[in-house]
Amino acid sequence: MSAKMDTADACDLRFGQVGIACVRVRRVDAAALCDELERRVRAAPQMFARAAVVLDLSHLLDLPDDGAVDALLEAVRSAGMLPVGLAYGTSETEALAKRMGLPLIAKFRAAYEPAQGNAPAAEPARHAEPAPAVQREPILSAPPPGSMQGAQHHAGSVRSGQQIYARDRDLIVTGAVANGAEVIADGNIHIYGGLRGRAMAGAQGDAKARIFVSDFRAELVAIAGQYRVFEQIPDDLEGQSVQCWLEGDKLLIAKL
Amino acid sequence: MTAEIIVVTSGKGGVGKTTTSASLATGLAMAGKKTAVIDFDVGLRNLDLIMGCERRVVYDFVNVVHGESTLKQSLIKDKRYDNLYVLAASQTRDKDALTQEGVEKVLDGLSEDGFDYVVCDSPAGIEKGAHLAMYFADHAVVVVNPEVSSVRDSDRILGLLASKTRRAEKGEKPVTQHLLLTRYNPARVAIGEMLSVKDVEEILGIEVVGVIPESENVLTASNNGIPVIVDANSHAGQAYGDTVARILGEERPLRFIDVPKKGFLQRVFGG
Repeated sequence: MSAKMDTADACDLRFGQVGIACVRVRRVDAAALCDELERRVRAAPQMFARAAVVLDLSHLLDLPDDGAVDALLEAVRSAGMLPVGLAYGTSETEALAKRMGLPLIAKFRAAYEPAQGNAPAAEPARHAEPAPAVQREPILSAPPPGSMQGAQHHAGSVRSGQQIYARDRDLIVTGAVANGAEVIADGNIHIYGGLRGRAMAGAQGDAKARIFVSDFRAELVAIAGQYRVFEQIPDDLEGQSVQCWLEGDKLLIAKL
Repeated sequence: MTAEIIVVTSGKGGVGKTTTSASLATGLAMAGKKTAVIDFDVGLRNLDLIMGCERRVVYDFVNVVHGESTLKQSLIKDKRYDNLYVLAASQTRDKDALTQEGVEKVLDGLSEDGFDYVVCDSPAGIEKGAHLAMYFADHAVVVVNPEVSSVRDSDRILGLLASKTRRAEKGEKPVTQHLLLTRYNPARVAIGEMLSVKDVEEILGIEVVGVIPESENVLTASNNGIPVIVDANSHAGQAYGDTVARILGEERPLRFIDVPKKGFLQRVFGG
C-alpha cells in the first residue's frame, strides 16, 4: 500500500483487524472521492474491489447534511466498494446515522471527541521494552464498551522470528514459544507449552495482567513494561508451570 | 499428475543440505520415481560436484529461467540411474537472476514432462534464493545439526514454511514438514556435548523423519561425486535409505542413534 499521504487526496484508506477499510473523508466532494477510490481499487483490486468500508466523517469541520452524505456513499459504491456504515464520531454523527438508517461502527479512541475534554486514563509511561512493532492505528474491530472481548487463540508453535500480538485482549497459545519468538498481549498471556522466547503481558500498561506458562524456560517476561531477563533460569523454575505478576514495581514469578 | 516438490532447507549453512538433496533425489530414483534435483544456490554451485556431473554442465537453471535454453537441454541425466536428472545452478550469476515466474515455469515444465518428484536444494539463509526454493514446495525436509544455533535457525525456517509459501498464501493444506537430523554422534550426545534426538524434537515440537550419523563415508563419497546413499555399506547411506522410505510413507525404526556396543574382539584388543 502506498504510504504517501498527499493532503490533496480526497480521502485516505485504513485497514482494521477484521479487514474493513475506513474511508476518512477530508472534504465533501463526491466526484473527487469517487475518482480517488476508483484509482485505489484499480491499483489493488484484490484488496479493495467490493471491500466493505465505513465512512469516517470526523475529519470534516462541519458535518455534511444527509443529502451530501448520501452522495458520498454513492461515490464509494460507484468506485466499486461497499459502504456498510458510518464510523463513530461525535453525537451529531450518531444522530445523522440514526436519521439515515445506517449502522454506526466502533467507538474510536477518545481523540475523536476533543471538545468533550474527557480524556481517557493516561497511557502508561513505563515502557521498558520496545513497543511492539504492530500497527498503532485505531482498529475498527474494537468492540463497543461493555461487550465480551474473549481471548485470541494461537494454535501450534510460535516459531523463532514470529510475533503474535493480542490487542485489547488475552492471548492463549497452545504450543511452544521458541527462542527468538515474541508473544504480546494487552491482557493476560496463557501458554500451554514451553516458553523459550519472550512474553509481554499488559502491553498497554495493565499492571494487573499476568502470564501463565506450563513449561517455563523464558528469555524474558514483562508485565506493563516491568521486565525480567533470564540469562540463567533459576533451577526451581526451569521447566515448571509458573505464573508471573506485578506487585508494585516488582515482577514476581512463582511455581503454580 | 503433478510432480511433488520437496525443498531441502535449513537456514544455517554447512549442515548438509546439498548432501541430503543428492541422497534424497538418488533414493527416490532408486525407488523407481522419476526425479529431478535442482540446485538453487546460484553463485555457489555445489550439487553437481556431489552428484558427480560437474563436467557435463552445459546449460544451467538460470539459463532455463531466462529462456536461453530448454529444460530438455539443461537437465543432466545421472550416470547411475536413468530416471534421475540434475539441474545445476549457475556459478557466474547471483541469486537475483532467479524470478518467481521463472521458477514456476521450470517446475511446471518438469510436471508436464512426467516427473514424480522435484527436489529443490535451497541455499543457506532466508533471502531470495531460499525463499524461491521453498515457495512452491509440497514437502520440506528441514536439515538440522544437533547444536543450538542450527536448531534455532531451523525453527525460523519452520515458521517461514508455515507463512511464506504458496500453500500458506493460498490457504491450502500446509507444507508437510520433515525434520532431518544430520551429523549425529551418539557418543558425544551421551557425554552431553551434543543435543539428543529427544532434545531437538522437544525444542522444535516436531518429530524427526531420520537421523544421519556423523560418518567419514559422507565426506569421502562427496569428494568422489557419489551420493552417500549409493554406499549401502555405510551407516549414513543406510540412514538416508530409511529416511527416503519414511518420506514415501513406509514405517521404519530409527537406527544408529545409540552408542555402538563394542564387540568381543574390540573389548579384548581395545577398539
